[in-house]
Amino acid sequence: MNESVVQLRGIAKTYHIGRDITVNALRGVDLDVRAGEFLAIMGPSGSGKSTLMNVLGCLDVADAGTYVLAGENVGKLSDDQLAAIRNKHVGFVFQTFNLLSRLNAIENVELPLIYGGDRHARRQRALAALEQVGLGDRIHHRPSELSGGQQQRVAIARALLNDPSMILADEPTGNLDSRSSAEILAIFQRLNETGKTVVMVTHEPDVAAHCKRIVRMRDGIVARDELVPHPRRAEDEIAAGIGAAK
Amino acid sequence: MKLYDSFRSALQSLVVNKLRSALTMLGVIIGVAAVIAMVSVGNGASASVQATILNLGSNLVTVQPQFGNDQGLKGAGTQAQNLTLDDMRSIQNQLGASIAATEAEQGTGRWQVTAAGQNWNTQVTGVTEDYPTVRDWKLDSGEFFTTSDLNLNAQVAILGTTTAQNLFGDGDAVGQTIQLRQVFGGDRSGGRARILNFRVVGVLTTKGSTFGFSRDDQILVPLTTAQHVLTGRLNIVNAIVIKATSSDTMDATTSDVNNILLQRHNISDPASADFTVTNQNDTLAALSSVTGTFTLLLGAIGGISLLVGGIGIMNIMLVSVNERTREIGIRKAVGARRGDILTQFLIEAVALTGLGGVLGILLGWAITEVVHRIPQAANLPLLITSGTVIIAVGVSVVIGIVFGLYPAMRAARLHPIEALRYE
Repeated sequence: MNESVVQLRGIAKTYHIGRDITVNALRGVDLDVRAGEFLAIMGPSGSGKSTLMNVLGCLDVADAGTYVLAGENVGKLSDDQLAAIRNKHVGFVFQTFNLLSRLNAIENVELPLIYGGDRHARRQRALAALEQVGLGDRIHHRPSELSGGQQQRVAIARALLNDPSMILADEPTGNLDSRSSAEILAIFQRLNETGKTVVMVTHEPDVAAHCKRIVRMRDGIVARDELVPHPRRAEDEIAAGIGAAK
Repeated sequence: MKLYDSFRSALQSLVVNKLRSALTMLGVIIGVAAVIAMVSVGNGASASVQATILNLGSNLVTVQPQFGNDQGLKGAGTQAQNLTLDDMRSIQNQLGASIAATEAEQGTGRWQVTAAGQNWNTQVTGVTEDYPTVRDWKLDSGEFFTTSDLNLNAQVAILGTTTAQNLFGDGDAVGQTIQLRQVFGGDRSGGRARILNFRVVGVLTTKGSTFGFSRDDQILVPLTTAQHVLTGRLNIVNAIVIKATSSDTMDATTSDVNNILLQRHNISDPASADFTVTNQNDTLAALSSVTGTFTLLLGAIGGISLLVGGIGIMNIMLVSVNERTREIGIRKAVGARRGDILTQFLIEAVALTGLGGVLGILLGWAITEVVHRIPQAANLPLLITSGTVIIAVGVSVVIGIVFGLYPAMRAARLHPIEALRYE
């Protein structure tokens, strides 16, 4: 077995809305993600998958339980320490791409290196990451000059830059057409084949079907955790001209 | 995060919102320009007043008769007639080398003066031989009269340049004779005139005017001549002026002069002295405190506009933080610490105010240049000192930090999840 990238034990998170409404978003989640996995987190609205994603990404801290990310206990860290962890260990890909509109593609990709990691050869590394996602010829384009699929590829390049322990994608294909979705999934699969750990939150079964393992959330706990025997290959679907069926 | 990256991020966002940045900066530009222009006018006025005072001669201690008491009303009586030439000679002898020079004066009023077919009306004053030294006033031509002229009540005169110009045009006045006329008894036709001949022995250099009064239009004659020939008020002087050796010895000289005169006038209580001794340093200090207050007031008016500019900065920075909540979320997600976000927004604010400060100095300088072109202010030296510039830039940077800090802190404190979710 590969080493654990993520180890969650008894993670609980409660939100307080107003004075007396409390929402138990997570109620004791145990989860292990090993290096090289391609994992989908599924579940209906209110199941706690977004909260789980935030905890996994160190954007939020759990109220109870332990979270060990790449060997570091990140349960009780300060905001700044969490920022450093995010910078080093987590590569985010968002549904809405979240690129800075003022910056061109390569400047967006460079962003994580501004805040940490090896500053040396920043531009070359950003260029390499953009080439990895097939955008080597669009480096000076602004996000507004790129299609949705291209913007998401810039976001993936950004997520790759600091060579994180895990790529965390939140509905990465939610705003894309079938063809672009398939291309993005193909990139994730290709990255996973080179050993990258990818965790993807989605509510679309067709998208999840490309992953190797599916974790289903319900009412703040892991309801089912199963391996996908034969993940669909996005490359094949593109070749067949159908894209990821939606 | 390197400072260089902070600067780049900050400048990028300022460049993107060019119009907004420019308008925001305008508040600071106007504020700094106002401070610069107003303080320079204030400093100029202050320097002008000081120059005017020193134009009368430097390090001067002046003795004037005290106004007498009239039934307990101080200053209500007639001016005492008790300051004498002997007082002056006594001061001169007793203080000797501890003072630079001393002189005594007696005004004789205005006289009609004729010479070479021209006539002119001007002030005639009797002074003693050291007048040029005491007043730092050289002769343009000729020689000043001497002690022997005083002893002889010689009818010699020194002319101011304006007087000489009016009587003799561009011709040489020295060696010429002038006539001082006084008409008395009846009107012009029936009156009798006293005509006194004076020989011009020198012409003073041009001095300009003091508080609007030309000092170049006057005639100086020996004090004794004034007393014996012109006024008949023997021995009496209107003022004794002592020039101290330096600014530092003025206090000592003032007290020496006071003691000598108290003793000579047999007065034991200094409070009832029949003369007053004025130290030029005190006059300067009083005036500079007035002009200082004036400058401070002008600076405060400029400061208020700078404050308003600062509030504009804060306003725009708050809008900017709000608008860029998502950007802040993204930056935090990829690893920006609080300090990184704080620095970025703070640098943005400081860049706005700093650049505004520099432009404001240029505008302020331009305004003083324009003020210089106004004829009424042409004599006013407008001083933009390096101190003013440093303070203006310093204050605008501090304003950037002060007014940028709160918005930057708000940005830095944003929770990444909420910031990312912000629409």
